[in-house]
Amino acid sequence: MKAFASKLVDLTQKNAEKIAWQWAKDVKSNLKTNSYHDAPEEKIIDQAANFYQYFQEMFSHETPFERAEEVFQKYARERHAEGVPLHEAVYALILMRRHIWLYAEFQTIFTVEAEHRKAVESLSRTILMFDYIIYVVTREYWKLMKPEVTKN
Amino acid sequence: MQSSYATKLIDLIESKAEKIAKQWAADVMKHNRTPSYHPLRKDLVIEQGVNFYRLFRQMSLAEIPYEEAKNFSWRYAEEFYQQKIPLHEALYALILMRRHLWLYAEFQGTFVTALEKQQAVESLNRTILMFDYVSYQVTEKYQQLTVEAVNKKLGIVKTFLMGKLVGGLKNTYKVAFMAILIIAACILTYYNHTAGQVVVFTHLFYIPIILAAIWWGKKGVLVPIILAIVLVASHSIFLKNAPFVDDIIRAVMFIVIGLVVGWLMDSVKKMEEPYEPFKS
Repeated sequence: MKAFASKLVDLTQKNAEKIAWQWAKDVKSNLKTNSYHDAPEEKIIDQAANFYQYFQEMFSHETPFERAEEVFQKYARERHAEGVPLHEAVYALILMRRHIWLYAEFQTIFTVEAEHRKAVESLSRTILMFDYIIYVVTREYWKLMKPEVTKN
Repeated sequence: MQSSYATKLIDLIESKAEKIAKQWAADVMKHNRTPSYHPLRKDLVIEQGVNFYRLFRQMSLAEIPYEEAKNFSWRYAEEFYQQKIPLHEALYALILMRRHLWLYAEFQGTFVTALEKQQAVESLNRTILMFDYVSYQVTEKYQQLTVEAVNKKLGIVKTFLMGKLVGGLKNTYKVAFMAILIIAACILTYYNHTAGQVVVFTHLFYIPIILAAIWWGKKGVLVPIILAIVLVASHSIFLKNAPFVDDIIRAVMFIVIGLVVGWLMDSVKKMEEPYEPFKS
């Protein structure tokens, strides 16, 4: 598990700033992330760079879901306080995942045929981590929305 | 253009949609992250699964796959919102749908050779793209439904308190309008007290008092305090021989009513606050 994962994780960790910069450029112009358009670039690059650091830590953690809960509940509260609608926060996370993968593809880290199997496994693990993150972020937003108001 | 790898996966999904949906339903109806699905009717859950898996073909044929996904996403969101499924569980159920699809493909040995492994990466990317569209649309729709429900609940209160009509004015206009009302109240008090009339003109003071509470909440209590001082001061100057008690009671009531309505308005605003990020 560690072998295939470490390649992608190492790449993400080493290039967190670069990937964050590419993500920030995307999120600032993407039609599905309107509330990021006017946000200061430095601020959102920092946000993404931190995210990638946490992601790398979570990737190799023994209990990644618990780690996601520790870190990303706070992340959700911060985005909510900034007034980012949940669907945009979710889409920004989706873009973060895409940019990890785009960067890995661009760097052609999985070149030889034998590495395609590793690529599938890396991709699956990345998706699993993001599934946890999206679940935790959505749950926290849902709590903040106090949906009991809508009951009955 | 649709490539062969995509066709392979799509064919598998379409022919086995019901089977995969049943496996997914069994999982989601006992998974600890989707407890709200546990008491649902199994056929309803399976139907959503089948709809999701069939969406694959529809999206691959559609000119704009994102638009095609909406048909499924909105129905899915509406149906599970009505069933009072929290959004994070609805999303997690979608995540499980995607996993089951992939598990089934792996179990069937759809991608065995090295070339097929490469195709698997591409297929996986395609699955994820579809899921990304659906999860974005479901989240957006859930928020829309939640905000609508909140507005419906608070709408009566807001309309009753004219929140949308006079509440929409700019603060400068509000201050100017309030100043005019206070001056009018001073003139009215002076006129009635100097003329020694016993008309119950002070009921009119509740207009600025209620407006101030709607606009500024508890902070609006400044207006009833000013009006109470005006009333009591005017009484002590112009009605020295008349009993004080009635006007003292009126003055106290101004402040009490201002505080109660102001507190209510602050509560209404607080209830709306968590939904502000969803109104864009």
